[in-house]
Amino acid sequence: MKITPGGVVAAEWTKFSSLRSTWITTGTSVVVLIAFGMIASASSSGDGMSAVDLALSGSTLAALAVGVLGVLLGASEYTTGMIRATLAAVPRRLPVLWSKSLVAGLAGLVAMTAGAFAAFALGSAVLNDDVGGLSLGDDGVLRALFGAGLYLGLIAVLGVALGMLVRASAGAIAILAGLLLIVPGLALLLPRSISEAVTPYLPSNAGSAVMALTPGDSTLAPWTGLAVFAGYVVIALAAAAYRLKKTDA
Amino acid sequence: MIQIREVTKRYGAKTVVDRLSFSAKPGQVTGFLGPNGAGKSTTMRMIIGLDAPTSGDVLINGKPYVSSKAPLHELGGLLDAKAVHPGRTAVSHLLALARTHGIPRSRVDEVLGMAGLSAVANKRVGAFSLGMGQRLGIAAALLGDPAVVMLDEPVNGLDPEGVLWVRNLLAGLAAEGRTVMLSSHLMSEVSLIADHLIIIGRGKLLADTTVAELVTAEGVRVVTADPDALRTVISGPGVTVTSTGAEELLVSGTSARQIGLAAARRGIPLFELTPQNASLEEAFMDLTRDAVEYEAAR
Repeated sequence: MKITPGGVVAAEWTKFSSLRSTWITTGTSVVVLIAFGMIASASSSGDGMSAVDLALSGSTLAALAVGVLGVLLGASEYTTGMIRATLAAVPRRLPVLWSKSLVAGLAGLVAMTAGAFAAFALGSAVLNDDVGGLSLGDDGVLRALFGAGLYLGLIAVLGVALGMLVRASAGAIAILAGLLLIVPGLALLLPRSISEAVTPYLPSNAGSAVMALTPGDSTLAPWTGLAVFAGYVVIALAAAAYRLKKTDA
Repeated sequence: MIQIREVTKRYGAKTVVDRLSFSAKPGQVTGFLGPNGAGKSTTMRMIIGLDAPTSGDVLINGKPYVSSKAPLHELGGLLDAKAVHPGRTAVSHLLALARTHGIPRSRVDEVLGMAGLSAVANKRVGAFSLGMGQRLGIAAALLGDPAVVMLDEPVNGLDPEGVLWVRNLLAGLAAEGRTVMLSSHLMSEVSLIADHLIIIGRGKLLADTTVAELVTAEGVRVVTADPDALRTVISGPGVTVTSTGAEELLVSGTSARQIGLAAARRGIPLFELTPQNASLEEAFMDLTRDAVEYEAAR
């Protein structure tokens, strides 16, 4: 009997899978991704957007939902007091953060990749006649769909980091929503020259770049964008790790 | 074995634990007592590694808890029975803790059985009563078959049957050679189970003693026909004699046996010779009187 990294991951998976709320939140984010993708595919006449872009229209809202999933996994440890039992079992502490991130990230990745493919398949089936259909074999389609899974999986990890850092669900969700939804809007208020330079690097813009079929003029290249977003996640994880290790639980 | 050495904990300007040293040894039940706000919970949080001491060392079985390869096997703790996710079932809660150490599912069922929770193992913890929550917390503490068991106010919310269960459980664990420590603010409760007592107030050690020592020696009440003669016979260094009535003396610093022998030698008739024990509750109140954090106005 001893602590093993695999054991801590298994424990975090047990915690994840034994709560009804995690399944509901995960299911919600998948449904949102598919439903919005289908609605946009059926109703939009394009405006320069491809069939993949339309199928992934739900990604912004799905990002919020899957981010909330991560936040709840992290912050509920503190709001319920469970963290005391958790850290008594794993007094080195950091393995808990890594394992929780891994479980949330993988769950997000799997659910969201499946959701992205489903959204594309179902979106293509109801696609508006004005938009040209695409198949999985077309350039960039697979990258966009897998990219969506990766980006949204990383958002779940960001949620865990924020939840463990802030230790309160409401505050962490507010920060998450602010980062993903409000910051890009605020950047538009900056002088145009600065705004144009900064906007592609903002978290949601950088991360979304991987889902675009063809990179726009004002966005980063797909994998560069995802790497930049991963950088934000690493920063948030580092902050959460610092607080977890250094402060009383 | 729990060893606390010169441990201080400050939160900002407030010193909650002040150069506290004591140990809890294997094979006995150590009662950890103090008024509300004395620093008991903070000390226990430091023992289990949730709070870091500002200075000093806390050792579990000779080493810091953090460095243990199987922490749940070293120390099983119950700090707050409500510190469980209410949406999880009892069995999933324990399973999540067990998995960290590769503890098998059979052990989870075993501790649930020990705690009398088998019937509600698949119920959500949110629906548990305070007493059931305490039982779950104790089950969690026992999960890793720990050498040290530490429980904060374990009988809180338990019914009489539960209190008896905890008492027998702790006595049994100590008899197996484990270190058992439990905290309480109620002397009467602890005196029934504990051999060894650690009493703190305002974060400082007030007494490191045993139940027997704490209650002995208020003195001996003597009723005699000739108090003056007896007084001269038994007086000596360290012996104080106070007159508490016409034929009554309260003698401290010597034993009832010595007084009786001395009186017999001189042929002084004694009518009563009674060792006076302060009640535990009184002894505890006396010790902690100056250290009570929240006191009703008088």
